[in-house]
Amino acid sequence: MKSGAAALPGAVVVGLVLAVVLDTFIQIAWKLAVSGSPGGAGPAAAALGAFSSPFFYAAMLGLAAQLFNWMRVLARADLSFAQPFTALSYLSVLALSARSLNERISAPKAMGVCLILIGVFLISRTPFRSPPSADEPGAVRP
Amino acid sequence: MTPEATGILATIAAVGVESFAQLFLKIGASGGAGILAGPWRARAGRIAAGSSARAWISLGLLAYGCEVLLYTLALHFLEVSVAFPLGSLCFVGVALLSRIFLGEAVGRVRWLGILCIIAGAVFVAL
Repeated sequence: MKSGAAALPGAVVVGLVLAVVLDTFIQIAWKLAVSGSPGGAGPAAAALGAFSSPFFYAAMLGLAAQLFNWMRVLARADLSFAQPFTALSYLSVLALSARSLNERISAPKAMGVCLILIGVFLISRTPFRSPPSADEPGAVRP
Repeated sequence: MTPEATGILATIAAVGVESFAQLFLKIGASGGAGILAGPWRARAGRIAAGSSARAWISLGLLAYGCEVLLYTLALHFLEVSVAFPLGSLCFVGVALLSRIFLGEAVGRVRWLGILCIIAGAVFVAL
């Protein structure tokens, strides 16, 4: 198996780790914002309820930070390489939602997390950047 | 339609929109339409805004705005531990769009990794 991990620049590694941390924060804050709306309310009322929650704005702040970080990652790595790494946040979201939102982690869910980790590992062994295509004379893929 | 079905439909719609948002942000982060694969680059070049990185980033942000609404709706009907893994279908969408529009080398190992993630997401959603 060809490995691209050895050549992975530090900036990409830091960006990917930060992306997972921010993704986890955003998911939990978003769910807390939506959980605050009345259970029997319609979608519009639920959305309005979420928008009035401080957790929603915390999630939006996280999204803004994520955007800034993600643009830096995308400028240095293939989209199809970098994006699957965000799946690592499944592990942290599951653990945190089980703890703070009283959601259950069953055996299948734990197995699913393992499969996701295997998938991310496989992708990490591929080159992080595609070579410029033949029809791109002089083009340098960032 | 049951609340679960509504939540799943909203999540799938959010996945489609997010896949394109990621594509647009990648094009913007790479300086504009120059990163696009040959035929798409030529088409984007015919539109004045097509070569502007800022235009692609704006398009990506607009798509993310739509995704925020769709995903907020989805989370109203689904547990986060179900909605979030369902969103992993985005990895397939992004890989396909990266291959088609950016000409990225999405080889067998990368596809295998993506399939593992999808299989994992199915288990997590059980």
